[in-house]
This record gives sequence, structure tokens and C-alpha cells, in this order.
Amino acid sequence: MSRSFGTVRAVDDVSLEIQDGEFFTLLGPSGCGKTTLLRTIAGFADLSAGQIRFGQKRIDTLPPHRRNTGMVFQNYAIFPNLTVGGNVAYGLKARSVPEVQIKERVARVLRLVHLDTYGDRWPHQLSGGQLQRVAIARCLVIEPEVLLLDEPLSNLDAKLRVEMRAEIRELQQQLKITAIYVTHDQEEALAMSDRIAVMRAGKLEQVARPQDIYRAPATPFVAEFMGTTNLLRGTVAGRAGEALRIRVGQQEFCAAGKAGEGESVSFSLRPETIRLLGPGETPPTGWGAFEARLGSVEFLGAITRIELQIGNDTMLRVASLDVLPDELKARGRIAAAYDPRRITVFRG
Amino acid sequence: MIAISRRDTFPLAIAILAFAFLGLFLLYPLLNVFGASFLDRTGTHFTLANYARMLSSSFYLGSLSNSLILGALSTLLTIVLGVPLAFCLARLPIPGKSLLLALASLPLVLPSFVAAYALVLLLGRAGVITRFLRDSGIPFTSIYGMTGMTIVFTMTLFPFVVFPALAAFKAIDVSVEEAGQNLGSSRWRTFWTVTLPVVMPAVLAGGLLVFIDVIESFGVPFVLAEDKPILAVEAYKLFVGETGGNPASAGVLGVLLIVCTAIALLIQRYYLGRRRFSTAARRAPPELVVKPWLRRLASVYSWGVVLIALVPFFAIIVISFMEFRGPVMHPNLSLDNFRDLLNQSWRPLINTLTLSTAAAIMAAAIGVPIGFAITRFRSRISDLLDVIAMTPFAVAGTVLAIGLIISFNSGWLVLTGGWLILVIAWVVRKIPFNVRASAAILHQIDPSLEEASINLGVSPLMTFARLTVPLMMGGIIGGMVLTWVTVASELSSTVVLYSGPWATMTVVMFQALESTGAGVASAAATVLIVFTVLPVALIYRLLRRHELGMM
Ligand SMILES: Nc1ncnc2c1ncn2[C@@H]1O[C@H](COP(=O)(O)OP(=O)(O)O)[C@@H](O)[C@H]1O
Ligand SMILES: [Mg+2]
Repeated sequence: MSRSFGTVRAVDDVSLEIQDGEFFTLLGPSGCGKTTLLRTIAGFADLSAGQIRFGQKRIDTLPPHRRNTGMVFQNYAIFPNLTVGGNVAYGLKARSVPEVQIKERVARVLRLVHLDTYGDRWPHQLSGGQLQRVAIARCLVIEPEVLLLDEPLSNLDAKLRVEMRAEIRELQQQLKITAIYVTHDQEEALAMSDRIAVMRAGKLEQVARPQDIYRAPATPFVAEFMGTTNLLRGTVAGRAGEALRIRVGQQEFCAAGKAGEGESVSFSLRPETIRLLGPGETPPTGWGAFEARLGSVEFLGAITRIELQIGNDTMLRVASLDVLPDELKARGRIAAAYDPRRITVFRG
Repeated sequence: MIAISRRDTFPLAIAILAFAFLGLFLLYPLLNVFGASFLDRTGTHFTLANYARMLSSSFYLGSLSNSLILGALSTLLTIVLGVPLAFCLARLPIPGKSLLLALASLPLVLPSFVAAYALVLLLGRAGVITRFLRDSGIPFTSIYGMTGMTIVFTMTLFPFVVFPALAAFKAIDVSVEEAGQNLGSSRWRTFWTVTLPVVMPAVLAGGLLVFIDVIESFGVPFVLAEDKPILAVEAYKLFVGETGGNPASAGVLGVLLIVCTAIALLIQRYYLGRRRFSTAARRAPPELVVKPWLRRLASVYSWGVVLIALVPFFAIIVISFMEFRGPVMHPNLSLDNFRDLLNQSWRPLINTLTLSTAAAIMAAAIGVPIGFAITRFRSRISDLLDVIAMTPFAVAGTVLAIGLIISFNSGWLVLTGGWLILVIAWVVRKIPFNVRASAAILHQIDPSLEEASINLGVSPLMTFARLTVPLMMGGIIGGMVLTWVTVASELSSTVVLYSGPWATMTVVMFQALESTGAGVASAAATVLIVFTVLPVALIYRLLRRHELGMM
């Protein structure tokens, strides 16, 4: 599907298939078209081209109020003129569900989101996290085909954000409901999702499981967007058995991958996969090693961030557990090792 | 994408209904006024003779220049008076500020021709003060003409400048001023070079409202102009004149009136609209610490201006309880004036109450959906709707009424002679306010609430009716009350359109003005004042001041 605003292609030829009961996350920087994509599913933005189906049923031709999606808005959009119970019952009333059933279903879903006793409260009496739960309950109660969540946690403080994300994931698993979740926070996406779609400028960069997105990014953009990485550019100097030998400045790296000799490639090496070697320590078998000068050191408690200078022009970031800056500074030159299988090579 | 998507059907339906209403009762009548001014005596051939005739008459040319001079003078004076007042209210400690603000907004809803009439009763030829002065040997002629009109307009219209300027003074980020002082500018210089330029667009916007209001005013010049010709009054006289009426000549003056107001409105829209400084205040400016004498001076000035503006209204209430023998007032308390007023008939009072209510309901029923379409659906249709809904603002009540009569006194739809034509004229005149007010309310309601409702399965139409309207209710009621009080004392189109049994309270007062029934006129004025102040006081909490500023 596609959606344009004038000349801006907010969603550009995106094709996705999402499984029943899957927690699917749209991840990307701000302005990449996540909200637009979600809103086309809900029906608040028209498609410029393409189709949307739930199972066999085509829904992009339906008006938004007949699509049976449940959307959780970034600012919750709780009706201020209705009580918590009234908010949750709103969608059921629209569906002409009998009064007794409404009561029962509202009570059930409020219990689910731990707001059993809040039915008669007014929205202005609730905290941010509680409003968030009302917004979710209000959607769950109508048993939507799909739950749509647009950065639902971005208005909460950091601690609550972590709690709520676990809670949302648990609810989704318990009810086996299909959820499409929009966020720009990669940690949130990794923690919650069954699959993640990374978007950039309206296009899909990669769709995969969290661990694959992180460990085997399909493009340099994905590699850099998912956490920190060292993105280096070099030339293929030849092969060493299965591995490629890639020359970066004076240093040569071994990496698993496919590319022709003399080809210019880039590759990603995550900081936490680089291991510092103690004096006299040898690298594990199959690993590559190099020597470097110590750059800046940043002590963050559990981990220490280190910059290593190789040759004149190559800088590598390393994240090490349980190292003290003073120890490193005493050494002068530093030896380090890496696993060639943890390097991802990008051609071109 | 030319195809109209389903989402557009709702605003499109609103737009079609609104276009139909405004087309029939605003644009079509205006077209007929234009037509009348460009047609010869037989009504079939295009001619410029009417314009040539009117513009070569020094009398009617004088009415044009008088109106413009009056507008300019009043605008200047309201600004000179209003800006310092706004500054005092925004930045200085004035005792009783919230009461003062409430009182300051009253002149916007009180009928200005009542103030004019009060001035006549006090300072006119046989006025109370005039006679007192004359008896004590102090030379004083009288208040009629430009002086009197300018005084009344300044006294009743200054809030148009004060409230926007007050908002602007409050919206200034203090750091801007501090930056000015930090760069070595004195406080006084900072005010002139930094503060004032920032609030100037708001002041000028208010000033243009004053200008338009003065040009369109019928009642004040009717009472006070005496032998000075004024556009709106001459158009009225030409149209209903004793010699049978002259729609062509009245049409020419009507067109001149519209041209003046339209130019002012266009300046407002396109020049000021762009020059508005963004005033996203991070820190609201604190009250200034000033020397006690300056604080006292500011308090006296602020309270003085506001109270003096209300004096005419107090005076007329007092006068209405005095005994009148013919045109001469005697200092004895009496209820005779009210008895005389109601002895004639209760009908005018009942007409005012019922017709104003009908108009207020209808204006809201039309204005709220238009405001909704304009704020929630940005498209070329809604932009056009916005422009058309603001058009009544540029059309003087006199001209609209003339157009309505030309259009609907014969043919397939006859409205003259009934009550509906009054209500329609009032509704058309109040649509800009109703649209603006509901747009202002809607700006404070998050659109995602409506999306949430639609997403939960409620259709857009039902969402509007069951969610949006209830959320807007406080504001809608406030707007309806303001509409009610202003149409209850509407004069300029009413005096052209009323007929026989459908005379209202303003008509009774108007007729009493023309004859010598000063007692009945002041009693009618008191009734109008009570009907204005009471409802506004009752719902003051529901109103926001900027709505008053939009009347
Ligand atoms: N209503 C709109 N009109 C015009 N452009 C829009 C509109 N909504 C979004 N866009 C544009 O589409 C792009 C994607 O926006 P959005 O979907 O909100 O991104 P995200 O949610 O990923 O931050 C942006 O470039 C944005 O400027
Ligand atoms: Mg977004």
C-alpha cells in the first residue's frame, strides 16, 4: 500500500502480512510514516494505492467506524465527559449490545487491566498509567480484529514505561489478540515484539524477529538504528577459508559473508561483541584480534564504554562489562578480539 | 486526487447546507443590492447613472467622508484610550481587577444607541446637564454631530481594542523585554521599541473592528448626527423615505458601505494575519513593581475609563424612573414610563423574547456545524466556507435588510411582513460570531477524541452529535446567550424589516425617539439593558472573554 501527502510519500509501497495473534511492531525514526501506516489501517487516512485485508475480508473500502479496529492513541483520548465505565462501555453501546452484557463485559475487562474498582471514577481523577489502561480496556472490550497502538507509552515516565510495556505484552499474550504497535524506541520494540518492521522514509527496511533484526540487520540503517554499532567501510582483500578478509586502513578484519575480491563493502560490528584481551591472553579459536591505542573511556557503572584507535583513521567503540578505567589506562596499548561470525557485511 | 472520499461527505453536507442558507439569505440579497444600484429606472438596463448622480451630490459624498472620518477618529481614540488601559490591566497591580475586567466587557454587549440616547438626555438640547449649565450661566451649546458620535463610539467600542491588546501584553515573553534591557535599553525605551511593536498587530486588529463597527452603525448616528449626513442613516432614509423609497440610490450607498468595510476586513485578514508575531510565552510577564503614585494613577485611570463608559447606562436607568411631563423631566420617582411602555402593548416585549430565542437557537444550529467543518476538515471547500461565513461581518445591518426586502417582498418566496425575516437577518448577522466562537471551542478539544469514538464504531455524524456537541456545550450555551442579548437590542436591520405586529422592544424605543416620548424611550432602554446584563451576569462563568471580544 501507499499513502502520499502531496509530494511526500509518507507510506511508500509497503507490503506486510501479519499473523493472527502476533505482536507486530512498526519501528523507525520520527517522520518515517509509522503513524500514517497505522492510521490507514484504522481508516483515518485514505490509501493512495493498495489494499488492506483482515483475513479474506477487504477493509480499506469500509468507513473507519465499521472496521472493528481498536486504536490506542498517544494521548489516550479518554472522553472527559464519561466515567471510566462509560468510556469502556462506549464501543459496546455503539454496537447495541444489551445493557446486562455491557455491564458484565465492562467489569471483566476492567478486572483484566487491574481497574476493577475504578468504574465510577472520572478521567481527571486518574493518573497517566491508569488512563493508559482505560484506553486499552476500551479497545479490548469490543474484541477488535486488531489492536492498534501509536506510541502509547511515550507520555509516561521512564519507570512506568517499563512496567506498562510488560503489562501490555502480557495482556496481548493472554488474549491472543493481534496487535500492531508503533514506536521509535528500539528497546521497547525488542522487548515486546514477535516481529519488528523497521521503516525509513516511508519504506520497509527489514521485517524480522527481534533477535534477527539485532544480530543480522539487513541494511546499515537498521544496524545503526538498532542500538549502537561500529559501521566500518573497507575493501575485500581476499578470502581466508570461509571468511572474507576486509581491509580497513592498515587493519584487516575477518568476517562471514559474501563479496567479490576488490569489492568495496561496509560492515557492522557491535561494541559489546568485542572482547578486550588481558596482557598475554590469546583470543578464542576462530576469532580475529587486533591491537589499538586507548581513546576516551566512559565509566557507566555496570558497563564501561571505550574508544579504541586503530591506525590513524579508524575508531572502534567497545562496551565492556566490569572494567575499571584506571586498569585500562595503565596498559597503554590494548589488545582486543572479535568473532567474525558476529560481523554483518553489507555490499555496496 | 479529485475523487471525493467518503470521509468528506459529512463536511460536504454541512457545507452544502451552509452555502444554501448563506447563498439565499446573504449573497442573493447582496447581489440584489448591487443590482439595484447598477440598474436604470426600468430595472432592465445596466447603468452607472446612479453612481454618477450620488457621487456628484455634495450631500451624499459628504455622508461618505463623514462616515470615514468618524470611523478613523473613533478608531484612533479607542486605541489611545485602550492601549494604556490594557497595559495597566496586564502589568500593573489594579485593585478589583477581575470585577473591572467583567465591567469592561459590558459595553460590547450593551446597545450603543442607548448610550447615544443617554447622552442626548444628559447633554442634548433639553438635556439635564445642559439645562443645569445654562441655568448657572455657563455657555454650552450641545453634543450633537461629530463630537457626540465620536464620544459615544469611543466609550462603547474601546473594549474591542482593550481585550486583544491585553491578551498580547500578557502573551509577551518577558525574556524579550529582559533581552532589550540587557542590551542596555531603558525600561521606557524597551516599552516603545520592544513591547509596543509586539502588541501592535493585536491593537490594530482591534482597531479595525472598531472602524467597521462605526461605519456600520445606524443607531448612534440616527440619534446624534442631527444634520450631519452619515452613510448608514442616509441609506436607510433613502430606502424607507417618505417619498416612496429609492432602492437604486439606497443601493449605491449600500455598496459604498460594503466597499469601506470590505477593504477594512481585507486589510485585517491579509495584512495583519501575516504580521502576527508568534507569542508563545514561556514565562508570563509578572506585574511590574512601580512607585505608589504611579500605581494610584493607573488604578484611577483604569476604573475611571470603565466606569465612565457605563455612566450613560446608569443614567438612563435612573432617568427611566423619573416623572416626565411631555419631553420635560421632573425629579420625582415614578413608574409611569414603564406603565406607558407596556400599556401600549405587551407584544413588543414578547416579540423580543421569543424572536431573539429563535434566532439564538438557529444561529447556533448553523454556526456550530460550520465551525466544526472549518476546524476539523481543512480543504478548499472549508476555506471557502470560512470566507463566506465571515462575509456578514462586512455587511451593515441596514444594507442586509434592504437586500432582504428587495429579494423577498415578491416572487416565489415572500418573507416581508412576517417575523421570519427578522430572525433570518439576525441569524445571518450573528453567524460570524457563532462560527468563530465554536471554532475557538473546538480548538481546545483534541481531535483524537472524535477519532477514538469513530474507531470504537460510532459513525462520524453520531460522534458529532453525541460526543463533540456535549463537549462543546458550555461554550455553545455561552455563545447562544451572547447572541441572544445582542439580537435583542439589534436596531439597524430591525427598523428596516419589522412590520405591524412584529415590532420589538428596539422598535418601540426607536419610535419613541422619533416622536417625543423620552419617558417611554428610556423605559424601553432600561428593559433592554436589563435583558442584556442579567443573562450575561448569570452565565459569566461560561463565557470566555475573547468571545465577548468577538461580538
Ligand atoms: N496530514 C498530513 N499532511 C501532510 N503531511 C503529512 C500528514 N501527516 C503526516 N505527514 C507527513 O508524512 C510523513 C510521515 O508522518 P508520520 O506518519 O506522522 O510519521 P511518524 O509517525 O513515523 O513520526 C511526514 O513527513 C509527515 O510530515
Ligand atoms: Mg507518529
